[in-house]
Amino acid sequence: MTLALLPGTVSDASVDQAVSRLVVEFGQRLDQQVVVGVVRSCREDLSGTPADALPELVERLARYRLDPAGD
Amino acid sequence: MGYVDVAGVRFTLPDGRVLLDDVSFRVGEGACAALVGENGAGKTTLLRIISGDLTPDGGSVARTGGLGVMRQFIGSVRDDTTVQRFLVDLAPPAVREAWDGVEAAELAMMEADDEPTQLAYASALGHWGDVGGYDVEVTWDTVTVAALGVPYDGCKYRELASLSGGEQKRLALECLLRGPDQVLLLDEPDNYLDVPGKRWLESRLIETRKTVLFVSHDRELLARVAGRVVTVEGGGAWVHGGDFASYPAARTARHERMADLRKRWDEEHERLIDLVRTLQQQAKNSPDMAARYHAMQTRLAKYEAAGPPPDRPPDQHVAMRLRGGRTGVRVIVAEQVELTGLMQPFDLDVDYGDRVAVLGSNGAGKSHFLRLLAGQDVAHTGDWRLGARVVPGFFAQTHAHPEWLDRTLVDLLWHGEPGRPGVDRGRAMATLRRYGLAAQGDQLFRSLSGGQQARFQVLLLELSGATLLLLDEPTDNLDVLSAESLEEALGAFDGTVMAVTHDRWFARTFDRFLVFGSDGRVYEAPEPVFDEARVQRTR
Repeated sequence: MTLALLPGTVSDASVDQAVSRLVVEFGQRLDQQVVVGVVRSCREDLSGTPADALPELVERLARYRLDPAGD
Repeated sequence: MGYVDVAGVRFTLPDGRVLLDDVSFRVGEGACAALVGENGAGKTTLLRIISGDLTPDGGSVARTGGLGVMRQFIGSVRDDTTVQRFLVDLAPPAVREAWDGVEAAELAMMEADDEPTQLAYASALGHWGDVGGYDVEVTWDTVTVAALGVPYDGCKYRELASLSGGEQKRLALECLLRGPDQVLLLDEPDNYLDVPGKRWLESRLIETRKTVLFVSHDRELLARVAGRVVTVEGGGAWVHGGDFASYPAARTARHERMADLRKRWDEEHERLIDLVRTLQQQAKNSPDMAARYHAMQTRLAKYEAAGPPPDRPPDQHVAMRLRGGRTGVRVIVAEQVELTGLMQPFDLDVDYGDRVAVLGSNGAGKSHFLRLLAGQDVAHTGDWRLGARVVPGFFAQTHAHPEWLDRTLVDLLWHGEPGRPGVDRGRAMATLRRYGLAAQGDQLFRSLSGGQQARFQVLLLELSGATLLLLDEPTDNLDVLSAESLEEALGAFDGTVMAVTHDRWFARTFDRFLVFGSDGRVYEAPEPVFDEARVQRTR
């Protein structure tokens, strides 16, 4: 476990980075708008998570939801 | 701020003996109280009742402010506990629970990566943040830097067993003193600490605003820190509201008062019995006296039902008789002695009757030097010899006697060993009685407390006829009364005494001070020297 900032001070820049990476990963199969929508919904579902852990968890959950093998 | 309020606590041992009965006392907000008593009086049991580890048979314990507990075993942890787990276990219950939740969620994530598991992990992290877990981790970082000189991330997976006893103690103390709990129970916090460590502990306990109840046998620590003294004795507890300096007199006065009250009760009891007997005789001859006789019977019954006041607790009666004997004037002569790799060569002459305290830093070779003089195989250069009629007797608590563990005390005394003739059961029991060990005569050595083992080793010294006592930390684990008894016995010993010690109170009873410096130099000092730093060696 690493030291983290308290929730509420998060910049969604880290979420934007997750979108960028997932668009590259899933872009051929899915519209960018779909990826953005899933990432944002994951971000909402994970509200309350400590800020330092948020980018990794958002990206991980979004990848799971976007990947048909994960359904 | 917090307090501890113990009211009417009763605790019975599994064998049916009542260990504590109607124990009541309060440690108020911000107070620093010492809990003292003889070995086996119930101090640790009482701490475990206050901490909730044990449930009393009666009475109650109230406390506020969050409770931090440092248990006695800290300092001797030899299992695979990590520094991280150790710090978690010292944290408040909510933090511990949140930590365990995160660990369980992390393990689940290794097994499955599905959405519920991910959300459960996120929730566990959120809970960790909610209970202040991230702040706690910052504190742990401060704690490990202060205690070990290493950031938390650099030592969290290190095994506690790789730390010295003093480092384990220091880690726990830093954690509790910097943590959020406002009430601290510390069971022998000074064990394993060298003198600079003890001084650090004293200053921290003096400056803390927390409420502290601690068990210690270190009279210097008690004198400097304790603002009040809770004594467990005779199955009960009482509080001396002053410091340790005035405690012995207060305890003696209390015992005298108790004995006086009991004596008066007994006298009144006798008087009432005599009156009843007299009136009984008179009632046979005079019906008028019958009513007075019955009234007196009722009065006696009420008096007896109310019961006597508690008697003064029995004294421990530890009577050590270290006789010794006249030896040649020169007892130890050492010329350019050097324990390989431990210290620089030094000369030493010790004469008959000298009392030499061996002081200095941990790891400097003090104990090795004593073992060399005791005739054990210790690598060295230079010459040393003992004088005429000098018979060394060696005492070391830290050196286990595996061959003794599964034998009873009477058996050990009966068989004797080279240099110590065996004694029959009658004499063995008489000797054990003088050392307060009669009840343990048929117990295995391994089942004795640290203090009882120490007393038994002094008893063996008495029987061995030693004329030179070589004592390695003899007062460690001895309760205050036993330590004073040992000092008295050493004072009356006809011979020479050399003792390694970190006990400042004990050291002051010596008249020569041999100091093993951290730079490898061995020198004599006119006064006790306690501030030699720990020897630094490449590990």
